[in-house]
Amino acid sequence: MHAVEHFVVECPEPRGAEIYEGIANTVFLDHNLIRVIRKFHAYVDPGVMLFVAVGVLQKITTLVRVRDFANVNPLEGRITLVLANETYLAPMLKIFWERFGQDAVEQADRFTVNLRGISATAAEVEEIVVADPSESVHKDLIYALKLIAPEGFRIRREKFAGERFFFVASEDTLPDEVDAQVRALFAKMGEEMP
Amino acid sequence: MILVPVTYKGGIFRHGEVMDLIEDIGGYIVQKHVLAQEVVLQCFVPQADVEFLRNAVRPVSGEVTDSPLVGTEIAVVSMSLEIHHLPHPSCDIAEYTRRLGAKSNMVSLARGPGKRIAQLNDEERDVINEHDLAIYLMGNFEKCIEHKMQVLRRGIEVPIVLCGGPDTDALRRIVDPPVDGYVGNVGRFMHRTKESEDLTKLDEVVAEVTRVLDARRMAIAKDPLSVSPARLMDLIREKVPAILDVTSPTPLTVQMQGLRVKLPYDTYAQEIRGIEIEEGVTIGDVANVNPSRMRDYIVLKIRPFSETNVVV
Repeated sequence: MHAVEHFVVECPEPRGAEIYEGIANTVFLDHNLIRVIRKFHAYVDPGVMLFVAVGVLQKITTLVRVRDFANVNPLEGRITLVLANETYLAPMLKIFWERFGQDAVEQADRFTVNLRGISATAAEVEEIVVADPSESVHKDLIYALKLIAPEGFRIRREKFAGERFFFVASEDTLPDEVDAQVRALFAKMGEEMP
Repeated sequence: MILVPVTYKGGIFRHGEVMDLIEDIGGYIVQKHVLAQEVVLQCFVPQADVEFLRNAVRPVSGEVTDSPLVGTEIAVVSMSLEIHHLPHPSCDIAEYTRRLGAKSNMVSLARGPGKRIAQLNDEERDVINEHDLAIYLMGNFEKCIEHKMQVLRRGIEVPIVLCGGPDTDALRRIVDPPVDGYVGNVGRFMHRTKESEDLTKLDEVVAEVTRVLDARRMAIAKDPLSVSPARLMDLIREKVPAILDVTSPTPLTVQMQGLRVKLPYDTYAQEIRGIEIEEGVTIGDVANVNPSRMRDYIVLKIRPFSETNVVV
């Protein structure tokens, strides 16, 4: 797992910054997002009621294939898959049913799936793509940032461009200077605003 | 006779005898929980008989402990019902006060979040005022709390215990005029309170609530109530059979100065006013029977001796 290179929450009230850093950490951990974040910098100002969060994601190029979470063993005319975890079990079964038909797929128990009389070899089964984690990461990240932002900050603006993102929220109309603040926070991380 | 709140915990075996004993010594059972093989009785017993009861329940392996929150109804005021404040810390605090005997209700404000936009409407104000005490659960920023408290406390007549992210001294400094209790370092957080550090914070909240309620009890004792709320509870349970059909966990909720009766006001208020307590003194003579802002319940506010010249 990659370490987060930069994780800072700034606030004019030191105690507020400390607590919000804890909240951000808990929310990202709870939503399994800490593994996709490379850099994160947030600024909360209770004086002008502004929350700005900027960040850079890890490169998510890895597709999840059957071999990543299962052992594929060809044996006596069938292929037995022994799963290490069941996170991707449901999408995998769906793909198998579509590709080989429901008759050929048998789930012996939670962690074992047998494929009988299929045309594919064990090596081909191992390479089947089951999930693309990058599809939902932006949606999950916006949800998480909404939780981290103070409640009542319902005027929001967010942008994702490649691996960089920013999220701004306030209870008032967003000021014009907000872009400058976003740019400044990106600069603190050594990055450029998207 | 001074009644003190205690909790009895023991096995289900022969617990009927304990209930009879509590009633025989002049006590009142406010709530009974049967949890598998365990029975928990929250009750009021005469102060002079607490030691007697403690010794008497030993043979049935029972235990009597002081529960200063029994017989109180507490409003846990959360800024909203959003995931930002629920279930942590609002539900954690509500549940913890419940464990110690209080009846806690969560009051979530329709427009509580934010700083400039925060508001308290008349219904919320009246519902909070029907309780013995309000625990305000605020956020983490001093500036927000300072600004919002002015609005959110407007019209609140019950004691307030303020919980917030800044430390206790900071809360004391920013809230003017002062409220009755402060607990710092308990602001908005997103994790379950299961570590010992978190549980210590919950203990601090309960200790502060207990301190404020004790002060309130002392104030009430200077001008005693015309009748004990626990006695009224027993009387209504006896004289209004409809209360036995109410499925709520506490159809009659005892408060420090009154009682919440979970029956429709229009149908039962007159009947309750007319119930005779003793020697011609009716409930209507010693208590105000008002409609509650919570559903269509009835709220009884017992008047002090100085107003009625009667103690029954």
